[in-house]
Amino acid sequence: MIKYHPSDILLANFSSGDLPASIAIGVSIHCQMCPTCQAEVDKLTDKLAGHDFNLDFDVEFDAEFASTLDSEIEGSESNPATTNDIKPMTSMDFGNMIDAITANDEISEQTIDKTVSIDLRGKPFELPKQLNNVGLSNWLNIGKLSRTSLDLDEGHVHSHLIHIAAGGEVPTHTHKGFEITLLLDGSFSDHMDTYHKGDFIELSSEHNHKPKTAYGCLCYTVADDALHFTEGFHKIFNPIGNLLY
Amino acid sequence: MKQESLSNSRSSQVISARSTIANNAKKMTSKNEQSAPAELSEYLIAVGTNRDKQAFAKLFAWFGPKIKRIAAQKLNNDAAGFDITQETMTRVWRKAHLFVPEKGAATTWVYTVMRNVIFDTMRKNKTQKAESLSDDIWPIEDQISEEIPFQDHLMSNQLSKLVKQLPPNQQEALTAVYFKQLTHEELAKQLNIPVGTVKSRIRLAVTKLKQQLGADHD
Repeated sequence: MIKYHPSDILLANFSSGDLPASIAIGVSIHCQMCPTCQAEVDKLTDKLAGHDFNLDFDVEFDAEFASTLDSEIEGSESNPATTNDIKPMTSMDFGNMIDAITANDEISEQTIDKTVSIDLRGKPFELPKQLNNVGLSNWLNIGKLSRTSLDLDEGHVHSHLIHIAAGGEVPTHTHKGFEITLLLDGSFSDHMDTYHKGDFIELSSEHNHKPKTAYGCLCYTVADDALHFTEGFHKIFNPIGNLLY
Repeated sequence: MKQESLSNSRSSQVISARSTIANNAKKMTSKNEQSAPAELSEYLIAVGTNRDKQAFAKLFAWFGPKIKRIAAQKLNNDAAGFDITQETMTRVWRKAHLFVPEKGAATTWVYTVMRNVIFDTMRKNKTQKAESLSDDIWPIEDQISEEIPFQDHLMSNQLSKLVKQLPPNQQEALTAVYFKQLTHEELAKQLNIPVGTVKSRIRLAVTKLKQQLGADHD
């Protein structure tokens, strides 16, 4: 049972396409597992479409535009000089655009629902299809922890896949900015709660936590201060790596 | 409760962002608001099933200027608005067969296509990355699985009869991939054509078969 969901603000900005790819990927994976949030996104998208398309500024122009285009498409260009003279520049450009688009009769290739399976310490995991076109770095293994970075090129916002093997834990850490953890598989606990597959956990800089997992888990994480995170990672793991073994 | 208030506040943001333009629009026409015509959905279906160019021109007339305006505003660049209109409407032309009227309004469907194009464009502008992620993040295509289940021999017979009625190039592609288990790439190499063309042919063939099988079952 999913208990933690993306905030309303994230869902709204996801629907309008205004989130960075890293966070949008997290929300998308969550929605795929959570019908409630998916329904909310559908509702918001409907609403946004209504706002964007129904605020109609130039109905009259559209009507004239449509009839001009109609005659163009039907091939009745017998009177190009007169029509072109009064035709606004934009509708001429649009007319050419329509011709160019419809000249190509190819249809968009079908996407095959391919699933990529990754093997982590002998256990297979299905990679979310949202990551099908995202580059992943080599897995870095430290003790019970494995980590790969996503190549999204989003400046301070960095995303990772993190696998913690059964019995593993991450020593107490904080983040300067926000941290989003989406549980793709398994479960983990910190001092606040136990989290399960599909849970979307947003932490701000005030939180510090020490997640541990009894049976192992795979997480998708986004942090807005990865420099700190990476530093923290090495700082934490090098001296006290024994904690992880 | 919380959800409702947020949606409202977002709505009012959207409205306030557009209010300047809306005011200008009032000067141009007396009618500044219009709901989406019901025919949009029919036009979209006509494009998807019959490659109907006139229906597409009507869609273009309705959506084109709006998309251009929305995109130009969002990217703060007039030329970009034009490019995004072209890319969005190209995808509408090429993907119209994936529109499912039962699932939602034509306006919402086109909105998602536009949103995806804007997302990919803005990402390309901001990063060194050229790949499109939007279709993975917001899958608008009906994902179909690779196997066609052959439940009984009658179905198989009917299917092979229908396959024989397909245009030769679609028949060839379908047979090679589904019956001879060739990959798209292998077939493309064999025929010396782009992989995209192989996929297009298969998609067209499958869409056709689905329609015919569906029609026969009703």
